[in-house]
Amino acid sequence: MSNQAIGAPKGAARDAYVVLDEHDRIVHVSSVLHSDLGHWTGHVLWDHLPGARDVYGPCFEEARSSGRSVEAVVFYAGRLKRLTALPAADGLAVHVERLAELDVTTLGTLTRSLERIEAELDGRASARRDPRAPASLRALP
Amino acid sequence: MAVTVEQQAPLVVLDESDRIVGVGAYAESQFRPLLGEVMWDCFPGSKPLFKPYYDSARRTREAVEFVQFYDGNVARVRAVPRSDGQLALYWEPLARLDTLTLGGLVTSLERSLELLDDRRSGLDRQDARKTLRIIEGGR
Repeated sequence: MSNQAIGAPKGAARDAYVVLDEHDRIVHVSSVLHSDLGHWTGHVLWDHLPGARDVYGPCFEEARSSGRSVEAVVFYAGRLKRLTALPAADGLAVHVERLAELDVTTLGTLTRSLERIEAELDGRASARRDPRAPASLRALP
Repeated sequence: MAVTVEQQAPLVVLDESDRIVGVGAYAESQFRPLLGEVMWDCFPGSKPLFKPYYDSARRTREAVEFVQFYDGNVARVRAVPRSDGQLALYWEPLARLDTLTLGGLVTSLERSLELLDDRRSGLDRQDARKTLRIIEGGR
C-alpha cells in the first residue's frame, strides 16, 4: 500500500480540493476547481468517475478510519496523481495534484510518458528514504 | 491474421501533397472540417508513421496495407493509389488504449502491441513493452 499518513498538502494542491460527505457525495468544491467541478456539487463522486472507486476509495477509507491525513499516488484517466485525504468535521477534504500524464500520440511518446511516470515514482520512493519503499510503479494500485 | 480493410468508401482522399480533398460519408463529422488541410498539419506526429506507406503506394502504384498505432488507437490502414494521383485511405479500427485505470492500460496496451505486426515499429514496441513490464511487476 502506498498510502502514507502525512501533513497538509503543499503548493497548488492545497487550494484545489473537494469535500466529500460520508457517502462520497461532493458537498464543497474549492474556488480553484469550481469552474471544472462546481456542477458536481451534490453528486456522488463515483457517478462521474467510472472505475475510480477502486483506485481512490482505499485512500479515503484509510483517512476516515484512522482520522489522519493520508496520501496516495494513483493512476486514473491517463494521469498519475497525488491524492491527499484530510478528515475534518464537515467531511473529507480531498486534494488532487497531477504528477505526470500519459501521451498516447505515438508509441514513442507513450513509452517516454510511461518512463516519466516511473521516474516520478522512483523519485518519490527515494525521497522517502525508506529501504522497504518500492522503487518503481509498485506504488500504483 | 491479415484482414483486408473492406470499407466501401474511403475514409479520406489525399492529393499528391497529402492535402485532404475527399471525405467518406461515415467520417464527415471528423474530417469534413479538415478539407483542404494537409493531413500532417492536422495530426501532429503522424507523418513519420504514415507517410512512408503512402509514398510507397504512390511510387509502386499498388495498394499498401499496414497496421499502425496513433493517438491511442491501433488501426489497419489501406492506401489505394488512383490514376489521377490521389490516394484513397481506408481505415479499420482494431483497438483503443484504455487509459482509465492501470489495469485497463496494461491489458489494452498488450492487445495493441500484439496487433502491431509491422517491423518498422518494432523498436518502439519493445520499449513500450519493457516499460509496461516494470509497471506490471509492481502491481
